[in-house]
Formats: sequence, C-alpha cells, structure tokens
Amino acid sequence: MGILRYLVRRLLFSVALVLGVSAIIFFLLNAIGNPVDVLMADNPGITDEALAAVKAYYHLDAGVGHRYLIWLGNVARLNFGTSITTNQPVGGMLLTWGGETLKLQIPAIILALLLSIGFASVAAMRQYSRLDFGVMTSALLGHSLPGFLLGVLLILIFAYWLGIFPSYGAYSTRNPLLGSTVIDGLWHMVLPLAMLTIFNTATLTLLLRANLVDVLRQDFIMAARASGLPERRVVLHHALRNAIIPVLTYLGILFGLMLATAPVTESVFTWPGAGALYLAAIQALDYPVIMGETLVITVMLVGFTLLTDLAYVLIDPRIRLD
Amino acid sequence: MTAVAQHLRPPGQLRQGWRRLRRNRSGMLGLILITIVVLTAAIGPWLAPYAPNDQSAMLSFAAHGSPSWAHPFGTDRNGYDVLTRVIYGAPTALAVGLGAMLVASLIGVLVGGISGYLGGLADELLMRLTEFFLVIPVFVMILAVVRLFGIVVVGTWLERVPFLNLSTIVLLLGLFGWPPIARLARAEFLRLKGMDFVEAARCIGAQPRDILFRHILPNALPSLGVVIALGIGGAILSESMISFLGFGDPKAISWGQLLYFNYQVLRVSPWAVLAPGGAIFITVLGFNLLADGLSDAFNPRLKQ
Repeated sequence: MGILRYLVRRLLFSVALVLGVSAIIFFLLNAIGNPVDVLMADNPGITDEALAAVKAYYHLDAGVGHRYLIWLGNVARLNFGTSITTNQPVGGMLLTWGGETLKLQIPAIILALLLSIGFASVAAMRQYSRLDFGVMTSALLGHSLPGFLLGVLLILIFAYWLGIFPSYGAYSTRNPLLGSTVIDGLWHMVLPLAMLTIFNTATLTLLLRANLVDVLRQDFIMAARASGLPERRVVLHHALRNAIIPVLTYLGILFGLMLATAPVTESVFTWPGAGALYLAAIQALDYPVIMGETLVITVMLVGFTLLTDLAYVLIDPRIRLD
Repeated sequence: MTAVAQHLRPPGQLRQGWRRLRRNRSGMLGLILITIVVLTAAIGPWLAPYAPNDQSAMLSFAAHGSPSWAHPFGTDRNGYDVLTRVIYGAPTALAVGLGAMLVASLIGVLVGGISGYLGGLADELLMRLTEFFLVIPVFVMILAVVRLFGIVVVGTWLERVPFLNLSTIVLLLGLFGWPPIARLARAEFLRLKGMDFVEAARCIGAQPRDILFRHILPNALPSLGVVIALGIGGAILSESMISFLGFGDPKAISWGQLLYFNYQVLRVSPWAVLAPGGAIFITVLGFNLLADGLSDAFNPRLKQ
C-alpha cells in the first residue's frame, strides 16, 4: 500500500473517530437533561411562555439528533457557538484560555524529554550501579506520586514555607515582580511548570531506561563496542536513537492529553487556562463551552495519535502499512 | 500413586509466579502497602479514634487543630478528626478501585477475548470499537456527567439511592476504562489459542466454552493481573481527582473529598491535606509496585 493511500485512510478513520466521540458526548449530555430544563431547575418561578421562548432561541425545541447536526454544521464552519455565561464566541475563549494551558504544557514536555534522556542514559550506562538504583527509585516515586499532590507539596514548600514563588495565578493582580510583566509571568510559571516537568520526566525516564537496557543487549551494540567506540558514544549515539522510538507513543499521548489533564493542574495552581475554563463551564452548565472544549480535546488526542503513527512510518522502514 | 504423581509434577504456572513474586522486592513492597490499606479498611471502625461524623472540635474552637495526642493527624476546617476521616476513606477507595475494575475487566476480557479467539471480521470490528473508546476524554466527560446528573436527579426516586454520585463515578470509570484490558486480552487470547495445549484440548473434543474459560483464560490471567492492578490504582486516583475538583459524592468519606474541603486552607492546616494525600500516594504506589512485581514474576523472560 502506498504511503498516500495509507495517509488518506488513517485521516478518514480519525475524522470518523472525532465525529463518533462528539456524538456520544452530545447525546450523553442531552440525555441527562435538556440544557434549558437543567438551567431552569434553579429558577422555578419562570413562566411557561418565557421557557418556550428561551428554548426556541437556542433551537432546543428541535430533537437531539437535529440539534447535533445544527451544532456540527456550525463547527464545520469553525463556529463553536456563543457561551451562555459570557456571551462571547466559544472559539475565541478556547484560544485565549487554551493558550495559557499550552504555555505550561509544551515547555514541560520538552524539558521532560531532555531531562529524561540525560537521566536514562546515565542510568543505563552504569546499569545496576548505585547511581542507576538512585535514578530509578526516584523515577518510580515521581511516577507514582500523583501530579496534583506533587503540586500541593511544591506550593506548601516553595510558596508558603519558603515564600519564594507565588502560590496561585499566572500574573500578579498589581505590582508585577520587578516592575516587568514578563518576569512576573515567568515567575508565576515556575511552580506549575516544575510540577508538570517532574511528573513527565519520571515516567519518561522509566520508559527510556527500560528501552535503552533492551537495546544495549542487541548485536549491533556489541559490534559498536567491539569496534572500540567509547561507551558514551555507544549509548548516546547508537543505542539512544533506537531506544527513543518506542517512547514516541508516550510523547504523543502527553501532547494529546495537554488539555484533558488541565483541569486538575489548573485548579491546584488556580491557573487561568483551558482546564479552569472547562470547570467553570461545568459549574455554570455552559453547554456550548463544554461541547466545544470536549471536541477540541478529542481532536488533539486523535490528531497526536495520528501524528505518532505517521512518525513511526517515516522513522522505521520496517513498519508495514496496512 | 497419586502422591508420587503429585511429587513429580512440576509446580504450576501460578505457584512458580508466586515464588518469583515473593523474591521480588518491589512486588512485595506493593503487596505490603496494599495489605495495610485493606486492613485499615477492614478494621477501620475499631481503629478510628472518633466517630466518622464527629465534628465536636468545632464547638470547642479546635478546628484547624495541629497534630496532637488527642488528634494524631490534627483536625480539619470542619472540625473532623483527620485520622478518622483518612481511615474511613480507605474502604471508599478500595470500593472505587475494585468496582471500576470489575466492570472494566468484565467488558475488556469479553471484548478482547472474543476478538482474539474468533479473529477475522469480529476482531476487526471490536478493535475499531476499542480504538474509539480509547480516545473518549473520559475524565473531563465524567466531570460533566456527574454535575448534570446531580441536578437532574433532584426530586426523583434516584435521589434516595445511597451513594448515587459515587456509584455513577465508579460505573463510568468502569464503562470507559476497559480498552487497555481488551487490547491485552486480545493479544493473550491470540497468542494462547495457537499453543499446543489448546490444540490438544481441541483434539480431544473439548467444547469452545471449556477451551476459552478453562484453558485460555487461566493462562491469560497473570498478564491481565498486571493491567488490572494498574487500573485499580488508576481508578482510585481518578476518583480522588474528581472529588478534589469538587464533583465527588458529598455523602461518601473519600480522600479526594478531604483534599477538596481543606485545600483552600492548605496554609492554615496543611496536615488535613497531607494526610489524605499521603494515603492516596501509598495506595496508588502499592498497586503500581504490585503490577511491576507481577509483570516481573510472570513474564520472567523479559527480565534476565
């Protein structure tokens, strides 16, 4: 099968996945309750005429299937609807708040990849040494300590006890640090960034070290060693390349889950990102925002999975396209 | 005769695996941690120094109290004894983990098993279904569903169902948590159905049902145990995060709920956050380590 046909087939399947997931979530949310009925549960005094008018305004007098098609048609034209609470277009809100999330998540993943390559190489080069044991024990602990608890610890130690970093928010409400909003923003990023980086680094180090140890047992490594290359070069140049390939899957998942994991991170640090937006939307029963954000989250998950698969095809010629 | 035969019989796969697990340091540590949690859950009511709903510290201005002899882990902002609440959170956590994974393993083994054993079109369709479920953003979806459901049930008979909110969370975690189990079950059934002992069973005329449940499934269990152990820890963690965000069951005592109620006063009474946080950590770590040990013990070829 040609690479082009493979690409088209995967792309079509991905679109089908996104459509299916969005339909499931749309129907699930609407099966629980009609948006207006849910909203009006707190407002028993409303008259029947007013209720009917509100329903007609939001097209809620139509059936669920019909409404899903209306929503889908709008989304196809990149119109995600208008937020019920802020009356702003949902697409713009997602971009603004999502940007704040990516500002933390992307650097955290890149930093974690670099750090884990260092840690895993050192550990694998001296397999079963005390250093290896130390690196692996900390990685296992870091991997098992849930991210949000790590965040709580960081806040407690570095914000409350030592008083170095701020405990919440992305910016100071007044008097930015050193009079510069840029420095102030970076200063606020340190703790949440540290939390995400530590957590990702731990998991990536575990994966990379396991793969490296596996690769180091293979024949071509023995050949490289036999040809007299120094161990450093064997590990960093020959083994690492092959060990990093299986890690791509996990990297793809990390990138794909950037928005999906945001609610917890952002409520620990009161960070004004997509996760905070989502939680606020759920509290306010803001259906357009809930649907818009779950759609974006699904697209990111599916999209990065697709990218990962394509990367494998490009990197590893042994993979068959079927 | 039988005694001799038994004597000559080599130990079974399970027994061999158990022997290796006992020598596996991380696996045993995991088992110890899980045992501590299970024991705490079992004898909790006799262990806890106070009644679970005792808020009397509020009356004597002793809320936010720091750890003392009377309250080893202090009291929280609602006047609860933190140690008592942490102890009573253990059965909740275990119920969530086991409940969710029970649902997930039933679906996962069924889907994966059929897929791997039958192959062909059924395999293709079921694996597409699995891929579909794999990309559903479960966590954020559960938050929305729990919130909406909580409003809709007001005034209906559902409102009187005990722990309705918690059961919803457990059910959703299970209903959407099966894809990893299905994938592994498929791989295992596919691998095992081609083995000689299954061929032999087929030759002596064993029914497909017997082949599936008495020959293939028991041999797939060790590998499935690894994902299930990881899944139990994952489900417990998910429930704590859902509760931490404020979407938990107000009637249930859970570690996540404790975090939710006390996180805002972290600065004043950190013990009320650190204690349930530590409990979550120990439990999740225990299941992770057990999964690690199981995978070493039952797939010894992977580790030389």
